[in-house]
This record gives sequence, C-alpha cells and structure tokens, in this order.
Amino acid sequence: MDFRFSEEEEAFRKEVREFIEANMTDTIRSKWLGGLLDTPERQEFVTKMSKRGWLSMGFPKEYGGTGESMPLAQYILNDELHKAQAPIVGKNLGVVVNTLLHNGSEKLKQEFIPRILKNEIQWALAYTEPEAGSDLANMQMKAELDGDEYVLNGQKRFITSAHFADYMWTGVRTDPDAPKHKGISLLIIDVPTPGMTLSPMNTVIGEQTNDVFFDDVRVPKERLVGELNEGWRYITEALTYERFAMTSFAPTIRKFNRLVQWVKDTELNGKPLRDDPVVRRKIAKLAMVVEAGRMLDLRCVCEAVRPDYVPANEAAMNKMWGGIAETVLTDEALDIMGPYGYLWHNGGHAPMDGDMVDDYLWAGHQRVAAAGVDISKNIIARRYLGLPAS
Amino acid sequence: MDMEFSEEQKTLQSTARSFLSTESPLSMAREMESNENGFSRDLWKKMADLGWFGLPHNEDVGGSGMGTVELVVLTKEMGRSLCPSPYIPTVILAGGAIAAAGNDEQKQCWLPAMISGETVIAFALQEENTFYDARSVHATAVPEGDGYVLNGTKMFVEFATAADRVLVVARTAGSPPETDGLSMFLVDPNDVNVRMEPLNTVARDRQFQMKLDGVKVATADVIGEPGKAWESLEGVIERGVVALCGYMVGASERIHEMATAFAKERVQFGHPIGSFQAIQHYLALSITEIIAADTTTFYAAWTLDEGEPSREIVATAKAFAGDTFRKASDIGAQIHGGIGYDEDMDTTLFLRRGKQYQLSMGDSGFWEDIIAEEILDR
Ligand SMILES: Cc1cc2nc3c(=O)[nH]c(=O)nc-3n(C[C@H](O)[C@H](O)[C@H](O)COP(=O)(O)OP(=O)(O)OC[C@H]3O[C@@H](n4cnc5c(N)ncnc54)[C@H](O)[C@@H]3O)c2cc1C
Repeated sequence: MDFRFSEEEEAFRKEVREFIEANMTDTIRSKWLGGLLDTPERQEFVTKMSKRGWLSMGFPKEYGGTGESMPLAQYILNDELHKAQAPIVGKNLGVVVNTLLHNGSEKLKQEFIPRILKNEIQWALAYTEPEAGSDLANMQMKAELDGDEYVLNGQKRFITSAHFADYMWTGVRTDPDAPKHKGISLLIIDVPTPGMTLSPMNTVIGEQTNDVFFDDVRVPKERLVGELNEGWRYITEALTYERFAMTSFAPTIRKFNRLVQWVKDTELNGKPLRDDPVVRRKIAKLAMVVEAGRMLDLRCVCEAVRPDYVPANEAAMNKMWGGIAETVLTDEALDIMGPYGYLWHNGGHAPMDGDMVDDYLWAGHQRVAAAGVDISKNIIARRYLGLPAS
Repeated sequence: MDMEFSEEQKTLQSTARSFLSTESPLSMAREMESNENGFSRDLWKKMADLGWFGLPHNEDVGGSGMGTVELVVLTKEMGRSLCPSPYIPTVILAGGAIAAAGNDEQKQCWLPAMISGETVIAFALQEENTFYDARSVHATAVPEGDGYVLNGTKMFVEFATAADRVLVVARTAGSPPETDGLSMFLVDPNDVNVRMEPLNTVARDRQFQMKLDGVKVATADVIGEPGKAWESLEGVIERGVVALCGYMVGASERIHEMATAFAKERVQFGHPIGSFQAIQHYLALSITEIIAADTTTFYAAWTLDEGEPSREIVATAKAFAGDTFRKASDIGAQIHGGIGYDEDMDTTLFLRRGKQYQLSMGDSGFWEDIIAEEILDR
C-alpha cells in the first residue's frame, strides 16, 4: 500500500503544471467540467501538448504511440488539465482511442489513431436521442445497408462538440427486430456529411450543445467499429472510459479550495466568516465529502491501470459521488454567501465573480449526463452488488 | 500509488477472518453484552496467542513492530464480527502510551504481560465534556511524598473494572486547553479512593465514570516525563482513532452484506425487494460511502506510518467513517423491515453500535471542528 505518486510521476505532473502555467489564457479557460476543444486557441493548446508526446503516451507504437509508458501518465495529464479548466484530452484519447484499440478494425485504427494522437481531428460522441436518454439502448436512429454504405435517418440530441468536430462517434440501430441491446452498431461519421443538419441548443450556463438531424446520410461500411450489432458492448465500454477519463474529481477540489480561500478572506455581517461556527462546520463537512471523492478517484485510477480491466463499478461510484459532491458543495457555498449567492457574472458584487452560480447550475448536469447519480446507483446495485433486475 | 495489500497483510486478513468467524461470531458480541467484564478472557487469551497484541509494539518487549496499516487490517476484521474486546484501549492506547513514554523498567513490567494477554490496562483520557484531547483534561495530579495525589472525574472509561490498571491522564501543571502539563499515571482500579460508576451504553459495553478522590500514585507508576505526556499521547491517540475507523469500516461492510443478502431473498409484491429501486439506491450509496471510508481510513493509517502531518486526515477519517457506519447500520436495519428492529436480530447489534461508535473517541462534530481548524486557521 502506497498513497504516494512515484518521483517519475511527480516530475511529470510538475512538467504538466509548468506547461499549463506557461500556456493558459483566459480565452482558453473553460466553464465545462471538461474543457472542449472548440476554438483555434484551445486546439492549439492541445496540439502543443501532442508535440511534447503527451497524447501518445502508452499507446502502441504502430499507431503513433510511445509504447510502454508510465501507466498513470494519462490520468495525471487529465487531472491537471481539469484542475486548470483547460481543454481535456480525455474524450479523444480516453474514449475513442481506447475503444478503437480494443475493438476496431486494423483499417480504422490506422486511419484514426495516429491523427488523434497528433490532435489533428476532433470528435463528438453521438448516442443520445429524444427517446433514448438514460435508456440509451432504446436508440432508434436507423442505419440500413445499401450496397457498400449505411443510410442513416433519425435524430441525435445533446451532441456536444458536433459544431466543430470532424467526426461523430455514433450509435445506430442496425437490426430493428432484435432485442434492443442486440441491434445497435457503432459508426464513425464525417462531419459534415450531406443530409446532416445541426441545430444548436444553449444550456443554462450558456455553453452550446446540439441537436443533429440525419436525412439519408450515407456512411461507408468500413466505418463500422467492431462487429455489426455488437455496438452496445462497445458503447458501454466507451461510457465507462468516459465516466473515468472525461470526468475527474479535480474540478470539485479546485472549487472547494477556492471557496475556502473566499471564506478566509471575507467578512459578512461585520465578522470574519471563518470565525462563524456554522460556517466552520459546513466547511468541515464539505472537506469530508471532497476527501472521500478524492479517495474514490484514486481507487478508480489504481484499478484502471490493471491490464485489460475496465473499471465499470469504480467509475460508476466515482460518477455518482462527483454528482453528489458537486451539488452539496455549490449549494452550501451559495448558502454561506446569503443573498450575494445569487449575484451572477460581471456585477461587481458577486463573490468569486459569480462562478459558483455557474457551478451550481451545472451540478445538475453532472447528476444526469452520461449515467448520472441515479443511473450510476443502478449500475452499482446491479453489477457490483448483484441485486436482481427490477 | 498502490492500494493492494502486501502478502503479509493478506495473510493477516485471512487468518483474522477465519479465526474470528469461529471464535468470535456475532453471538459472542451479544453474549458479552451481559457479561460483567464485557469480553471473554478465553477469547482474549486466544487473540494474544495469535500475536495480535504485539503487532504494534517493538520486538524488545515481545512485539512484532508492524504499522498502523496492519492494525487497520486487523481491526477491520474485528469490526466485521463486532468482536468485543479491550483491544483498542489496552493494546493501542494504554500499551502505546507505555511503549512511547515509559522507561525500560515500566515497559518490561507491563508490555510483555499485556502482549501475552495476562494484563488488561484501561485508558482514561476524557472527562465530563465532549473533547477527546488535552482540552478535556481537568483532573489534577499534585506531588506528595514519593509520588502524586490524583483528583478528578474521568468519563467513558472502557473495561475499567476488568482492568488490572487504568492509565489516567491528569494535569501536573497548566489548564485546558493547554497540552503542556499533562502527565500519565497507572492507577489500580481497586484503589480505595477510586469509585467506578457504570454507564449504561447503547452498545451495552462496559464503560464507567471513574472518580479519583485523592488517589495516591507512586513515582514508579508515573509514565513518562511529567508535564510532557501530550508529546507521545497525540500520536498514540491518532493511532487508536484510526484503528476504531477500521473497526467501523469492517462493521459497515458486514451489515451491508447482511442487508444485501436479505434484499435478494425477501419477496414482497411477488419480487425480491432487492429488485426495487429504492432499496437498490440505498445499498448503492451506502457501499460507495463504505468504500470511500475504507480508503480514507487506510490513507490515514498510511499517513501515520509515514510520519507525515496527520491531524486533518485522522479527523476526516474518524468523522467520515463514523457517519458511514451510523448510516450503514441504520439503513441495514431498515432494509430488514420490522424484523430488523427485533431485539434478537443481529441487525440491532449494528444499529446500537453504529450510533455509539460515531460518538465515541471524539464525536463527528469534535473532529469536524479540527478539520475546520486545519483548513481555515492555517
Ligand atoms: C450539457 C449536456 C451535454 C451532453 N452531451 C452529450 C453528448 O455529447 N453526447 C451524448 O450522446 N449525450 C450527451 N448528453 C446527454 C446525456 O447523456 C443525457 O442527458 C442523459 O443520458 C440523460 O438522458 P435524458 O436527458 O434523456 O434524461 P432521461 O433519461 O429522460 O431522465 C430523466 C430523469 O429520470 C432519471 N431516470 C431515468 N431513468 C431512470 C432509472 N432507470 N432509474 C432512476 N432514474 C432514472 C434520470 O436520472 C433523470 O433524472 C448531454 C447532456 C447534457 C445536458
């Protein structure tokens, strides 16, 4: 048992921090939980990392990777990026590359992985539909084989990054007669492709996601990931990576530390907040929730580096705890502020420039997206505890 | 970063689990609730024979010099079976204090006998307030002739009447909240000037209010340099607290397993109740809390073993593991339905201990205030 990162890992962490310090700007910094690569500045930031070889660490040499490397390198990189509100590499690397490596054809691996590792291409993950949210296996978007191409018709909803992505990693229904989990396949689609229409959706904190409509969109059949009608397996695997690689506990720790600093620096009702016994107990309780989250995160990391092990249970626990922690943290923080808690950006009187309001509004997103609190609990109950189906 | 047990730790865990499942099943916990000593001497001796009492102590007094991580491996197993024993007060607290501060003669006099299971030493720190540190101690020790005279009232002294000695913390100087001026004394619980009042606890263990009314203690029974006790006690107490965290995590695991198994079997509305989402979600949240408490506890133990600053993590572990055990024990009984509150059901053993352990060795609020100090005042 050893809770310390190795010297080599610490050295890498330091290097990443120095890089972030040197390259981070206000325009790059993002409110998303995991920063998107949606502007030239943000993409440039990640390209600089790829030039240092940081995106290729640990991936096989034949696809442009470095081969054997520090197992925790990817985790450390994402952790620091999350902490700094920088664009994250978890989606492209953690989700697409990992899933392709395990399941994709040689052709797809050769075509996509090297370019991802160089940050030449961006991705959107397209699973959700109006009638398939938590019940993702209910996805209906049709893909029918016509010669050497699939023809797609239907709608995807909440497709983040679709407005700047080069490719869409898309779940489609290829067998409408099979039981719902057995008729799904995974396709890689060029964005744009004729017949595809995007319609932006603005979220409560002003960040964009998208509805995407498909009207006879044609996709070559070599773009099928893995086997036909086996897509559900790949998607659940990819979702586990997503829960792990795209969501980190680091932002919650950062927000907590920021709250602590604010409490230390602030007087309310003529008294320093730090001397208020109620505030002190609130901070202590939050500290416990945050520390527990950090521990679950580290546990998940320790499991995830085991060869060929997909930490589905650990990731679900992490995801659930993240949603709970973010909720109590932001709610308690605004409570401590009293009426100042509802002042939003640029008003001059807003504590922390109103950022905690964004965080409060966004906490709900963490409770629902990509298996939120309730769905994660279902996963833990069924998979980990072996409780019977309802 | 590595959370795996070593081979040695795995062996300790599996030996402890199989020993305790036969020698100290839950029925033992129940039986000892009405035993006058609160623990079985026979079991205590067998535990000693396994080398458990020497585990945290050095080889020169017959111990094996292992770390806090190993202690937690062991107390977790004790918690799983709710093993009733003075292990924490005797072996970790009193034994730890003698090992840390005692002179050679005292160590040789008390530790080998404690390690072999012959001698039980209780630990008396807390008084009639809710602190679990130097702030609690008002009791005085005044030099007189060849020794000291002790006056004061100790609370929550576990297994005090079954003990051969009680290690009492009293002030030779200063006043609360000062840590300077604390000293340690070995007091005979049968001394004519000691009065033990039993406390009725919800866990039905043996605890006492201990009144010291002019108790004379010889110099030979003063442990460590007078006035300097806190220097060694602080670390000893942290170790004891983390060991209790391990116990609570183990107990939480056990009640959670019982509730999960019950939920798979009990049928209502034509389905196992474990198929109902309300039940599933209670159990899913609870197991996540338990795993987080487990990792936090081991992290605290590891931090102590590494000699790194530990006050905040120990406080976090105790408050979090305590809250976790309370919740697990509460929901564990609820999932059993009405029978969960039946006096004869094992669920009630956990239900009663869940609240008590959360409040003992410093309640959650006490430790939360320490967390706040560490975070806000430095
Ligand atoms: C900002 C944002 C970005 C997103 N980005 C993407 C993306 O890039 N790609 C993508 O594919 N999707 C994306 N999503 C979609 C997201 O994954 C879905 O919102 C999520 O799966 C929930 O689906 P839903 O919104 O249809 O809610 P519903 O499934 O309708 O759920 C409604 C409520 O019911 C609860 N619920 C549903 N089923 C159960 C159950 N069995 N047990 C208990 N409670 C249940 C849910 O937890 C939720 O609280 C994004 C969403 C948001 C808000």
